[in-house]
Amino acid sequence: MAEEKAKSIDNASLKMIEKAAKDGVNTAFDRAEAMKPCPIGMVGSCCKNCSMGPCRVPLPKSLEETPEDKRKRRGVCGATAETIAARNFIRMIAGGAAAHSDHGRGVAELFLAVAKGEASGYELKDEQKLLQVALDWGIEIGDRSNNEIAVDIGEKALSEFGKQEGEIDFLRRAPLKRQELWRQQGVAPRGIDREIVEIMHRTHMGVDQDYKNLLQQGVRASLADGWGGSMIATELQDILFGTPAPVLSKVNLGVIKKDEVNIIIHGHEPLLSEMIVAVSQDPEMIELAKSSGAKGINLAGICCTANEILIRHGVPLAGNFLQQELALVTGAVDAMVVDVQCIMQSLPDIAQCYHTKIITTSPKAKIPGAVHVEFDEHNAVESARAIVKTAIEAFPKRGSNIDIPKETTDLVAGFSHETINYLLGGIFRASYRPLNDNIINGRIRGVAGVVGCNNPRVTHDDIHVTMIKELIKNDVLVVQTGCSAMAAAKAGLLTPEAAKYAGKGLAEVCETVGIPPVLHMGSCVDNSRILMAVTAMVKEGGLGDDISDLPVAGAAPEWMSEKAISIGQYVVASGIYTVFGVNWPTLGSKEVTDFLFKDMEDMYGGMWAFEPDPIRAAHLMIAHIDKKRKALGIDKARERVLYDMDMRRELDAV
Amino acid sequence: MEYKIEKKPAPGRDEVEVLGDTFEEGKPEGEDVGKWRQKLGSREDKLKYLQNGERYWFSEEWFGSEKRKTPA
Ligand code: SF4
Repeated sequence: MAEEKAKSIDNASLKMIEKAAKDGVNTAFDRAEAMKPCPIGMVGSCCKNCSMGPCRVPLPKSLEETPEDKRKRRGVCGATAETIAARNFIRMIAGGAAAHSDHGRGVAELFLAVAKGEASGYELKDEQKLLQVALDWGIEIGDRSNNEIAVDIGEKALSEFGKQEGEIDFLRRAPLKRQELWRQQGVAPRGIDREIVEIMHRTHMGVDQDYKNLLQQGVRASLADGWGGSMIATELQDILFGTPAPVLSKVNLGVIKKDEVNIIIHGHEPLLSEMIVAVSQDPEMIELAKSSGAKGINLAGICCTANEILIRHGVPLAGNFLQQELALVTGAVDAMVVDVQCIMQSLPDIAQCYHTKIITTSPKAKIPGAVHVEFDEHNAVESARAIVKTAIEAFPKRGSNIDIPKETTDLVAGFSHETINYLLGGIFRASYRPLNDNIINGRIRGVAGVVGCNNPRVTHDDIHVTMIKELIKNDVLVVQTGCSAMAAAKAGLLTPEAAKYAGKGLAEVCETVGIPPVLHMGSCVDNSRILMAVTAMVKEGGLGDDISDLPVAGAAPEWMSEKAISIGQYVVASGIYTVFGVNWPTLGSKEVTDFLFKDMEDMYGGMWAFEPDPIRAAHLMIAHIDKKRKALGIDKARERVLYDMDMRRELDAV
Repeated sequence: MEYKIEKKPAPGRDEVEVLGDTFEEGKPEGEDVGKWRQKLGSREDKLKYLQNGERYWFSEEWFGSEKRKTPA
């Protein structure tokens, strides 16, 4: 009998999985065990785009397929396995790009309301970023007030979504060579919404039936996400709430406090949670909490809303995606406030076993069984107060079945690309030069972005942590976002002391600069910060002319969401080799998979790969980094040699 | 950036005024940990920082690896 795979490497999670079983609570870990993935859908070979189907066109299991068999492998409409796999793949991109971009649109709407003075409680916190975006978009600065400039920025941002012609504006932030390449390939996005809608049109029954043409539209929509919707979300959130700078905090279920009102903020947008952070510090609210027997109000986060308030306020992380249900199982969460994305529908059911209130806040994301307190941006303080009060009222109703794991780990987060630039050069000459120099001299072998979700099909956190440890051991600096960063944080990799896991060269650099070998850059939309960091490396010089020349690689080893596919595709199309784990959604078509894994390298200098084993995946990334180092002529470490007089004479004699 | 002027004894003279430290002392604590952006006070400082610190995108004459090419 095959050995049973461990559910998690995190002790706190394992304890809560055990408690859940005792409490009769069913979690994603149980459901994943009970329901095996459909083998046909998993590889992209099932189409349900019309009612003549669903049609299943799986690869034959064993025998080599004859051309005759292959011709027959079609849907009722005649769509080939290639068309079906490509359609399914780019519909995932559409879903992911829509999620990130609709988040961006929501931020832009709030931003404009704040700029116009119509959203009380918010302010424009980061003038520096406001000026930066104004310069980017050619918006007049002069003697205009911040609000006047912000109105123009907000209107411009909103217009990017519905733009029909030309190109989205942040594309011009990319290296010049990359911009030209996108234009040559015909994939420069015209507008954010347009590219997503076009995917839905092209993948409708009987429209685009050339898998390469379909995949190119996937690239275009993904770029509209990374260099469009996600980047707009990141930049405008920075102006509203501040650009992240290093903060100290803690991670894991142990941050939940037995004697305080615990409010868990879960989801992806920081708009409401920023206000909850402020309201929970309000003396009146703290008094109210005390009057119901609590010592205070304790906030913690799950998923990317957590990352957003961590990187700006140091609010602790309760855990990542697969810990959302487990947080409730502690019995000590008084309210879980959710907005959009990655929220399990099982939460209200689990909450019934305890006293927890599940509060939905977005009109876009309601769940039966949850309390709905709609977030009104024009009245955000009131919305936040109503939520905090609901949590306080729940506190005295706690049952006796409380067990909070002790585990917490320290972490440092908040490494925006602006902060990395500052840390490496200081206020007078902020610079990526030291990073490039240390890559050229070989102390740092390269940079890897390890990002993405959790997935109960693999051991929780294990794939992230194993991969990251292998990378840093081999002198690869790791940058992170999302749930992956939380996995690394729990393993203690986000502190400067983690240099002990790093190779000699990387450890030396980390100790000199005082940074961890693994840098937490933020939430999923903040993968746009990684795009900016690699662009800065190109523009600094010495490592080629384009992102595809850099010794860098990307990975989402425990991915599960459509957003991860969209991110992976814009990272690949930006020139970065990207490895995904778990499973790969186009394996049902060799042609489609070859296009993504091989042809894209010729077209974009970056390509996809699939490798579920984290060590092997790390070595694929390292091999790619080494390939790029060789092409740049920096494959041999060049230590500086100090010449004495004899050596100089010898040189002169040559 | 405000410069600190320090008075120091000098040989043959009583005291001279010299430019003090331009770096920060020790480790910042509490709220200030890591909050480097607050050091940039005026809008002018911030624009200057953008042109210099974020020169990859905002410098007129300096484009790094793209120095000899047409600006975007
Ligand atoms: S679109 Fe074609 S392949 Fe898809 S379900 Fe309809 S008939 Fe089947």
